[in-house]
Amino acid sequence: MLKKLKETTIFLKSLRAEPLGAPAFICASSAIILLLLMLIFIVREGSQAFLNLGAELIIGAVWDTNAGRYGGLPLIYGSIIVVFVALAIAIPIGVASSIFISEILPHPLRDPIKSIIELLASIPSVIYGFIGLLFIAPRIASLFGLSTGTVALTASITLAIMSTPTIVGVAGETIAAVPKEYKEAALALGATRWQMIKGIVLPASKSGILASILLGFGRAIGETVAVLMVAGNTAIIPSPPWNILSPVYTLTAAIAMQMGEAAVGSLEYSALFGLGLILFIIAFIVNTLADVVVTREKAKIRGAG
Amino acid sequence: MKAARIKEKIIFTIFGLATALCVAAFATIAAILLSGLGTIKLEHLTKSALQGGYFEMIIGTLYLLVGSAGIAGPIGLLAAIYLVEYAPRGRLTRVIDQAINNLAGVPSIVIGLFGYTFFCRQLGLGISLAAGWLTLTLMMLPIVIRGSEEAIKMVPKSFQEAALALGAPKWKAITSITLPAAAPGIITSILLGIARVAGETAAILFTSCVLVTRGLPKSPLEPIMALAFNLYVKIVALGEAPERVFGIALILFMIVVIFAAAAITFRVYYRRRQLWLR
Repeated sequence: MLKKLKETTIFLKSLRAEPLGAPAFICASSAIILLLLMLIFIVREGSQAFLNLGAELIIGAVWDTNAGRYGGLPLIYGSIIVVFVALAIAIPIGVASSIFISEILPHPLRDPIKSIIELLASIPSVIYGFIGLLFIAPRIASLFGLSTGTVALTASITLAIMSTPTIVGVAGETIAAVPKEYKEAALALGATRWQMIKGIVLPASKSGILASILLGFGRAIGETVAVLMVAGNTAIIPSPPWNILSPVYTLTAAIAMQMGEAAVGSLEYSALFGLGLILFIIAFIVNTLADVVVTREKAKIRGAG
Repeated sequence: MKAARIKEKIIFTIFGLATALCVAAFATIAAILLSGLGTIKLEHLTKSALQGGYFEMIIGTLYLLVGSAGIAGPIGLLAAIYLVEYAPRGRLTRVIDQAINNLAGVPSIVIGLFGYTFFCRQLGLGISLAAGWLTLTLMMLPIVIRGSEEAIKMVPKSFQEAALALGAPKWKAITSITLPAAAPGIITSILLGIARVAGETAAILFTSCVLVTRGLPKSPLEPIMALAFNLYVKIVALGEAPERVFGIALILFMIVVIFAAAAITFRVYYRRRQLWLR
């Protein structure tokens, strides 16, 4: 305890001695303060819903604001089904692309291709929604003979295109970080390049790939505008539940669509903040998990080296 | 052995196709949007929205970007300097690190909710440009911090040590040696932050935008028009056919791609020039 106190005083003194130290420290700590403020204010605005609705907000099966029913289950289900199908498309494509770019593609082509994928990541979600509505939805409708193309599958495809670059970026970084010596050792022993990738590169970067998938999941579940523009926005659990050709309503879409009409202080307003808190908690868990995975891996590499 | 080679060829082809798919996705999106080039006339760029133009939306979007970069840039840079140069290894640094990662992961709609209750209502800014700046700052900050951190870490320790050996205090060594050497990376990170929020809709949905204003805002406390917001509301709330809002989508796409491409080119160019990075 005493040692800790002493360390703290030394730390504070060292910051004071440097005119840059204190402001830099304050700016860095602002991240903690902002995150706490966010939590406090969302909980405060959502408290009315938690008190009045309780678990109904999570497990209630009917979301109908006109009838005053705020059951979040259809929304949670909608978010989950859209994201799972999206990731089922995005993960294989993303991981395969990141391996291809950092291990197989000839060197001069790597930077340009990486840049294009980075550009893909920078396209705003409202544009993805626009493209989804204009280009993907009509094709889904005619392919499956639906009256409208704004269904869960369309949202999933749109979302898959959006989250692939995240996965390629993060996974690519970890794959590129696998020490050259490991790979050369495998090749020197007569392994083909694929055997080298399968036996050395993938095992060495598996936690990075896992982190990239987690971050892709976080990005996808929090995606709002693109999803709501193409998902149909009907608060039902499809029947059968795996029917991805049914319209769905997601957590994010409900907040975006209904905040404008909800009177400040009403139960609806509070329920929307409750949904916001659910999203905040999901994002927090996913990011913390990704953080733990990466940190543990870094420690392992340091231990090995 | 031969079978292994054939297997390898097949797998690599599949992987190559996956990569081609990503590139094709970008090409398709760009082609669809650019096909709308014919629907906008140059004069629409400078005409008021009341006369069917885009002027206030474009300027409003730029106001948002410049303002939030002006706030997130300095704060993010200072935070990065702290994390690389001053932070002791320990619990607090670890928590700050995690907080930054978590901030980056908060869904933009949740940031929008927070912006509304905190900046618009609690701080009394109302639906305004200023509230938009602060809300977007929350989104830009993690990108600027992480990017600048990377850039500062890349500068060889020996540069700073040379200055310290000559008797310069640490802050002086940082400001006159480290930061100039890291400047291209720092600028890249700010440009990437701008590209990230340029098309952001969910975060400004309830914090700073309205569909139509009379002219440009006269103070930061007035609401503004923005391309992303207009595109969203016209399609979702007003039910306009996507074909009719092509112009807005195209202009927004071009602004975002210009910032992102500038950031990427800048980075590639300077990586080649900074010999110590090789």
